[in-house]
Amino acid sequence: MAMLREKKNTSLATSPCAHLRVAYHNCFNRWYSEKFLKGQWDKEECVSEWQKYRECLSQHLDDKHLSRFLEADGIVDLTNQADSKRHDGAPK
Amino acid sequence: MVRAYAQEHTYKHPWERVTTASWRKFADPENKSTLSHILEVDTLNRKLDSTSGKLYTTRAITIHAPGPWFIRRIIGQDICHCVESTVVDANSRSMQLATRNISLQKFIEVEEKIRYDPHPQNPNEWTICKQETSIRIKPLSSLASMAEKIEQKCVDKFQQNSAKGREVMERICKYLEAEASGISI
Repeated sequence: MAMLREKKNTSLATSPCAHLRVAYHNCFNRWYSEKFLKGQWDKEECVSEWQKYRECLSQHLDDKHLSRFLEADGIVDLTNQADSKRHDGAPK
Repeated sequence: MVRAYAQEHTYKHPWERVTTASWRKFADPENKSTLSHILEVDTLNRKLDSTSGKLYTTRAITIHAPGPWFIRRIIGQDICHCVESTVVDANSRSMQLATRNISLQKFIEVEEKIRYDPHPQNPNEWTICKQETSIRIKPLSSLASMAEKIEQKCVDKFQQNSAKGREVMERICKYLEAEASGISI
């Protein structure tokens, strides 16, 4: 039991999603080099892999700091912000 | 107190290959032993702007960052969650990454920005990587006198790890090069 509890407290909360993650990453990597980089960016692929992987993440990602990035507006462009320090803004 | 430093590296590989390697850097299992400080990387969000050819990605990166025992005792953990946001512009051939820690912010703020662009001297075959890192240790009273020392330690650690990262990137690029010149389907 102690071991179980310890396991839950480590960072590897999303390990149950590992095989879905691999499936999605393989699909993405193929799409990225074979389509996206060649100018075929009109269509998104790997949709079903992405949905399965995300569903798993939303079940297992218990860190609230991280899980909010799963929301629809979870795309943050940190690269362009001059002062991006306070994007988190979580009051203590 | 902030420590900042910049690094530049030229990959003698085209931009397309280098950015492909960047996506694989943390994902390929054969890099696990070199990048052992990376515990887990998850893609949290992704958006494709199909009119402009821009790909936005948000990933979670969990890092194992063991420090001296007194740091671990104060902080109570030795793992750190970071969020990495990436924009790839396929049209103008640029890739920008920004990574920031979102846990342990009470103690430390690390921000790393990386850009991959075609090398101005050889844009079709080489890629230039520009990296900026800033590290700030929050001056807790109990740590104030040590904060500066710790900052330097963090800088050292980050530089070691980014050298490892480059090593992995070079390895993947070589592999992709071999793959491309071999039997391509």
